[in-house]
Amino acid sequence: MTVWAPVEYTDVAELRGPLVMVRGTRGVGWDEYASIELETGERRHGLVLEADHDLAVVQVFEGTAGIRAEGTRVTFAGRPMRIPVGPGWLGRVCDGGGRPLDGGPPVAGAADAAVNGFPLNPTLREPPSEPVLTGISAIDLLTTLVRGQKIAVFSAAGLPHLKLAAQIAAQAGAGGEPFTVVFAAIGLTHADAATVRDRLEERSAAGELTLLLNLADDPVIERILTPRLALTIAEHLAFTVGRHVLAVLADMTSYCEALREVSAARGEIPARRAYPGYLYSDLASLYERCGRVRGRPGSLTVLPVLSMPAGDITHPVPDLTGYITEGQILLTRNVSAYPHIDPLSSLSRMMRAGAGPGRTRPEHVDLAAQIIAALSRARQARELAELVGESALSAVDRRHLALAEAFEHRLLAQRGDELRSLGETFDRAWDVVSMLPRRELTMLSSEALDAGYREER
Amino acid sequence: MRDVLAPVAEALLRQARLDADAVIRAAERDAAQTIEDARRQAREIVAAAREQGEAEAEAYSAAVRARSARQARGMELAARREALEELRRRAGVAVQALRDDPCYPRLVKRLGELAREAGGDDLVVREHPDGGVVAEGRGRRVDCSLEALANRAVDALGAEVERLWAP
Repeated sequence: MTVWAPVEYTDVAELRGPLVMVRGTRGVGWDEYASIELETGERRHGLVLEADHDLAVVQVFEGTAGIRAEGTRVTFAGRPMRIPVGPGWLGRVCDGGGRPLDGGPPVAGAADAAVNGFPLNPTLREPPSEPVLTGISAIDLLTTLVRGQKIAVFSAAGLPHLKLAAQIAAQAGAGGEPFTVVFAAIGLTHADAATVRDRLEERSAAGELTLLLNLADDPVIERILTPRLALTIAEHLAFTVGRHVLAVLADMTSYCEALREVSAARGEIPARRAYPGYLYSDLASLYERCGRVRGRPGSLTVLPVLSMPAGDITHPVPDLTGYITEGQILLTRNVSAYPHIDPLSSLSRMMRAGAGPGRTRPEHVDLAAQIIAALSRARQARELAELVGESALSAVDRRHLALAEAFEHRLLAQRGDELRSLGETFDRAWDVVSMLPRRELTMLSSEALDAGYREER
Repeated sequence: MRDVLAPVAEALLRQARLDADAVIRAAERDAAQTIEDARRQAREIVAAAREQGEAEAEAYSAAVRARSARQARGMELAARREALEELRRRAGVAVQALRDDPCYPRLVKRLGELAREAGGDDLVVREHPDGGVVAEGRGRRVDCSLEALANRAVDALGAEVERLWAP
């Protein structure tokens, strides 16, 4: 096999769903990258799913619609799929397969990398630390994103998870250090994609963003590729170029549905809800590409966004994602104000590594814990009030209800285009906790209370 | 009789006046409070409306900025793509010129060898009408036409193509 004289195989034995069976192949291996040229001159791309003697099964990313067995030529690259990587991706808008949508030339890079990534040496991994600030109060204060962390956004149909994902992508930063966002949009409608593009335009123009758009009417199989491309681009920017990178993958449920479609076409034994049995390891192979590497300045934070079908958190996609990720941000209809984050069900397991003295504010972790505890008590008080009436509650319980109210209106509610500085978020957080009498704030140190508590409330 | 009741009437009247005064004062206080509340509410509404208006204006100007930035960026990227297409076209023209080169027969022979090396000795090599060779066999084909070679050469440039538009 040479670059200059690649062999094209013309004996297509069968077309089945997204799969093409090619006969008479020689030396073709599993996971090899393939290029399929149609009679019309159109070029499609695929991966070898199985190779047996001279038969190769190729999964075509763009689908097999319009392909005829006669006149189709398949070329194998002799290696797994690789893409050019480097800063050439910054400021570009491409489709789910990496082809330009912005009118520009194909993205070129001085180096290339395998889209399946390279397993990171575990001994070179550094635990996540230092925060990624999103400018969204509820996230920065209660579920702080940490550089190198993987944390998911769980949403239900009809909730604005894309708007939130786009807002995070547009606003997130690493306190003045070079920051980049790679946004992989998977299975989005044209309207949603246009909204995301508009929201991210400024960042894109500043050369801090790569946008990969796989639309709802794009080939389903390409969705399997989109997050891998995004993570490959992000890994290089993080670990070679040395930037802090946030990879937003939205919506991973569409990705899993594509995986299910390929699995069904291959005749694999279905597991839960017909998803393949390897869904967990497949998702892990994506999410685990985040992290920090010893001796390298950059970091890769992964934020998968997924919609829970019928709002079911036990559905295989959120369930398995929850096993892998280090926390979740849960959106709920029970919170009426955007961003609809449910503070009591959201958690960032790495938060202690990213918040506190020298990182955000000295009192950050205690203040967040205090607010969560108070909101939890407010929930109990509300349940009690439904039985006995609010007037029968104790004065302290009523103060807790007032705190919950203030939390939702003053701290959580935020416009979709509003960037709140950490200072403003803490200002509002102290306003909220000051709804309670000082003696109730047992989780905060007296120094913190002296500095932040507002008596006049 | 009337004189006897006069102090009572006077006391009642005084009490009634006091009560009335108290009611009036309370009403005045209430009215002042209501006015003050209304003023505060009005101030809040005006402030919220101003904030909303400012946010809307900011959103609108951000949208306009975003549109024009995208337009400018689009023009720049389109120019880059045109430059790359022009390079591809020129490479195609340049490679065609090889057909007039005295070494062309040797090149064709070498390309034939290359094609059979890659695809197998059983391939039948024939010359492509636009220059170069194509080798074909059962289920296999190797395209070494000049056009395909030129395209592969441009594809193999990688990041070097950026020199076309680098300052």
